[in-house]
Amino acid sequence: MRPPTPTTLRQHLLCAGGLLLVVLTAPFPSLQAVVHSALVLTLAPQPGAPLTGALWALAAGWTLELTLRLPPHLGGTAWADLTLVLIAGWTAARWPLDGPKDWLTRLTALTVLHVLLLHWMVRLAAGPHPWGWSWLWTLLSLPLWAWGAWRLLHPAAPTGRR
Amino acid sequence: MPARAARRRWTRAAWRRLALVLLWLGHGAWVLVGPEAGRRWTHTADTLALPAQGAARQWEGWRARRRDDGRSLQDLQAENIRLASDLAALRLREAQEAPRLAEAEEALRVLGLRKLIPLELSAARVLFSTRPAAFGGLILDQGRDHGLVEDQGVLAPEGIVGRIWSVGPTQSKVLPADAPNASVAVMLIRSRATGVLQGLGASRAHIRYVSNQEVVQPGEAVLTSGLDRVFPRGLLVGHVVRVERGELELELTVQLAAPLDRVSTVLLLPPQPPLEAQQPFVQPEQPKPAGRKKGTP
Repeated sequence: MRPPTPTTLRQHLLCAGGLLLVVLTAPFPSLQAVVHSALVLTLAPQPGAPLTGALWALAAGWTLELTLRLPPHLGGTAWADLTLVLIAGWTAARWPLDGPKDWLTRLTALTVLHVLLLHWMVRLAAGPHPWGWSWLWTLLSLPLWAWGAWRLLHPAAPTGRR
Repeated sequence: MPARAARRRWTRAAWRRLALVLLWLGHGAWVLVGPEAGRRWTHTADTLALPAQGAARQWEGWRARRRDDGRSLQDLQAENIRLASDLAALRLREAQEAPRLAEAEEALRVLGLRKLIPLELSAARVLFSTRPAAFGGLILDQGRDHGLVEDQGVLAPEGIVGRIWSVGPTQSKVLPADAPNASVAVMLIRSRATGVLQGLGASRAHIRYVSNQEVVQPGEAVLTSGLDRVFPRGLLVGHVVRVERGELELELTVQLAAPLDRVSTVLLLPPQPPLEAQQPFVQPEQPKPAGRKKGTP
């Protein structure tokens, strides 16, 4: 049984809250990376409105770089977020979700792809840079924020537990 | 034709797709252009921000000046308070030192007079004055224990004060020269006419026994003549303030020179001083040398 699609207003509010959290968690880079990934991969993608999701992803990317990162040339994170949110929206439209397990699996793949793409595009923009350990924290905490995003987006959907 | 036109018409979804493509390509181009474009944009942004930065500097400068002005005003106020307290302390100290200063000045003047008169003079302090009372006088802080005897002349830097009237063990009383029962042998500085000064009170006295044939003008100095053996010759007594011609003698009123109401330190002449002091207290006016007559050497 497919979960109901969240309303546009609800998704916008969640995106705005996520963006605010990205700003507020700037003193904690690892936590900010997790919130940023959750915003880009779970809250921003909208199957029927790719432009809106792209704008939220761009806002998340630029906010991240402007609040915390100071590479010689900005824009790599926003480009990676834009690309990922388009891919996520396309996959969501192409293969609709059937439940939390599909959601978790897809998010894992998207997160890995996001990490790789993010570092590649930032390298294109600003040159070689240290990776840090934010990507690891993002991957380790993926079940947590994936479950939280699922509950926020689909509060009436089953959790997969009997 | 309508079908081709409809195909060419851009729907909202097409515009959105175009916006997405442009966003993605724009970001990609921006990323691939590299830091140089960013530096140019940064330079442009810096240039555009120059007016705002100038205004901000002006604003910060104004705030700094205002803060400094406030601090300097507070410093000035604190300094004013400190100076006011210092001024009050100095005024209080001046008031405290004023009697001692006046006494020191009086002592200096007495010392100067003592050097002028080549006699064995001793100094004494006036404890208080009973002059306003009948037969009042000045009470000195020295008496018989200090070797004082009656009829010793008493001087002040301005002129004679009187004579010692009575002597106690530690104090003595001075009969001032303006007392009705006081008399001093005096002479006029120009005519050298002698007489007896008798007190009228209030620092005034009159001279008796001056012939009405003498020529005396107001303002003429009156000196001691030394004939009373209380004062040596030549000490200043006062100045003539009024001259009236009587039947036999001149009626001369004299204003005493010594401030009897304000004198605080006096000099005591030795008993029975010599008639002539070697250095007179007031030099007599020298008569103008007369023009040489023709034919005289």
